[in-house]
Amino acid sequence: MRITCLLVPDLPLAAELRAHPELRGLPLAIASGPGSRAEILSISPEAVRGGVRPFTTVVQGCAACAELCVRVASPALARAARDALLDAALSVSPRAEIVPSSSGIYSAEAAIYVDARGITSLFRSEAGFASALVARAEKLGLPAVAAIASSRGVAHIAARRCAPTPGATEVLPPGHDAAFLAPLPIDLLNPEDELAQSLTRFGIHRVRDLTRIPERALVTRLGGGVRKLLALARGEERAPPIPTLSRTHFEESTDLEAPVRHLEPFLFVLRGMISRLATRLECRALACSDLDLDLDLEGGQRDARRIGVASPTLDPLVLVRLAALSLESRPPPAPIERASVATAGSPLRSDQLDFFRPAGPTPAVLSRTLAELEALCGPGRIGAPVMSDSHRPDAYAMAAFAPDFGGGSLTRDGDAPAELSRGALAVRALRPPVPAQVHSSLGSPEWIRSALANGEVIRCAGPWRTTGGWWSREERFAFDHFDVQTSDGLVVRLRRDLTTGSWQIDAVYD
Amino acid sequence: MPAPPIALAIESLLRDLGPSLRRGADPAAPLTRCPTGLPGIDDLLGGGFPRGRLSEIAGAACCGRTSLALALLARTTAAGEVAALVDGADAFDPPSAAAAGVDLSRVLWVRASEVVDALRSTEHLLAARGFAFVLLDLASSSQAQIPPSAWSRLRRTAASTNTALIVLGDRRLAGTFTDLAIEMSGSEPRFQGVPTLLEGLDGEVRLVRNRMGPHDCAVAVRWLSASAA
Repeated sequence: MRITCLLVPDLPLAAELRAHPELRGLPLAIASGPGSRAEILSISPEAVRGGVRPFTTVVQGCAACAELCVRVASPALARAARDALLDAALSVSPRAEIVPSSSGIYSAEAAIYVDARGITSLFRSEAGFASALVARAEKLGLPAVAAIASSRGVAHIAARRCAPTPGATEVLPPGHDAAFLAPLPIDLLNPEDELAQSLTRFGIHRVRDLTRIPERALVTRLGGGVRKLLALARGEERAPPIPTLSRTHFEESTDLEAPVRHLEPFLFVLRGMISRLATRLECRALACSDLDLDLDLEGGQRDARRIGVASPTLDPLVLVRLAALSLESRPPPAPIERASVATAGSPLRSDQLDFFRPAGPTPAVLSRTLAELEALCGPGRIGAPVMSDSHRPDAYAMAAFAPDFGGGSLTRDGDAPAELSRGALAVRALRPPVPAQVHSSLGSPEWIRSALANGEVIRCAGPWRTTGGWWSREERFAFDHFDVQTSDGLVVRLRRDLTTGSWQIDAVYD
Repeated sequence: MPAPPIALAIESLLRDLGPSLRRGADPAAPLTRCPTGLPGIDDLLGGGFPRGRLSEIAGAACCGRTSLALALLARTTAAGEVAALVDGADAFDPPSAAAAGVDLSRVLWVRASEVVDALRSTEHLLAARGFAFVLLDLASSSQAQIPPSAWSRLRRTAASTNTALIVLGDRRLAGTFTDLAIEMSGSEPRFQGVPTLLEGLDGEVRLVRNRMGPHDCAVAVRWLSASAA
């Protein structure tokens, strides 16, 4: 068994820096809550150099370092950071398992166990695998370390020893776990407080002191709880990580320090969230489909909306633009206190097209272009036209543009598959139809006045009656259509609404 | 050491030719085209609308410009290619297109409500590559002021692709940036038969600008309605 432990030593700090990269390099403290008496939970190395100490109050921290930047710990950011760490692990192995949170001095860490068996065929060496894992976490904005050993506990302890150096990795060759653990202090095994006191009382300070004593003697004196410690010390925790079920739900959320009333500053926050979401999706080789935007508003209100994406994309600018369009068209009724954006990852289309068919846009480029066009023109305004199953003259529909490249065949210029000796006459639709005043005799129009065509009707064909939807008051329609040529030279399609008696021009022959 | 006679001869030749000399370049790739499927018009255009170039179809209402655009769509989609229609006028009529033989599933219809959005959409579609042509319909938006820089940009983008950019308008809009322009005019519509039917429109297509060949020639064309066809 070979297990990798991917570890972020200080998750609250890493989560804050992931969401706010502009804070990197500043003395930063993460407090347990708002106010000057809140406890400082995590501090950046710059704050340590400034004299700030953890588990002091914010007032004490600010007194030690005047430039100290204090942020309140955000459970939402921490949860998203932990999920991002799992995404980094799942990008290399389906067997990845979140390590339950520890207590005591390790309560701030986040760790993932990743199955490292057989990875040398992909990454050449275990050291290369550990470095790749750390690099992926780094790409997701998380400073991580990684260690590979033959058991869970030893890998975890080895990773903890790497923690002071972000990006460090360590690989323990098979069979070297016991030798690695032997000189280490017993506290690294993180025993229960009562057990730790007993061990100290017995003079057991290092791991080798523990492993030298027969198990039966230890259990007799210290109780059954010591068995777990012994298994850890001997490197016997060899259960493989439990595979995570296919996880395709991605969520990023943030708690705003103060309610945001205007859209522009909120879009700035949203851009960061969507960028982080896109990076996670890219890490998993997925793309963003429809976005679910969930806003907690001041006064306990909630605004949940789904933002349609024409085709899966990873372009944050397109996604932000779609979200902005949605928010501008229907602004939240109250200031925003908390925001969360989620999506179900969709696979990106493959770029391979048929060699023997006419070339079209590559699916990935087409997806991005469709999303950009929808952001530009608005939802529901791009796609492939579809004939509606209706006799209504202005009925049409739009479908997703997904051409089947299997039809047709390569042709040379001039190879017309169906030569048309004469062209088909087309119409230009008028949306909405142009109202017209019509003078008619015996039901035929003789004279028209409208914003489009004016004058005497020179020639006229019709009427042709179209009716339908008689079973519904809302859908009912009945028209008499005429093709008319007016004295100003236009040939238009005129219709008389039999339900209202009004006249309209609904198309121009062109 | 004196220069060899051949070198002196070349120097003399270069001196005589002077400014008419140009730096050599790779031979230009053969121009591919999007045929309309209408033999007369294809002959006039030299095989169809050139890919990678900016072409214009101009004409007043009822001159057959939309019918020509649909013929082009029908021919292109029948060949298995995809085309994009940026509908700045929101005038595309799917039943009419289907009657003209257009495979609607291979047409990307972009309904841009503003001219600026239509121009941006066109640029995105050209940059996507792979479309046989992008038809920009500004027939009802010809009054909008479009800066020349926009046409320059679109023309440059089209030139870097194998996609034809075709602008349809009430009048010519792209000015000198156009590589090929045709102007269409209509004549009397044909109402015939008992009961009276609109059989079609007779029109003329005139090639008024062509950077790739001769221009100032015209061809007559007849557009037949579905009932007459």
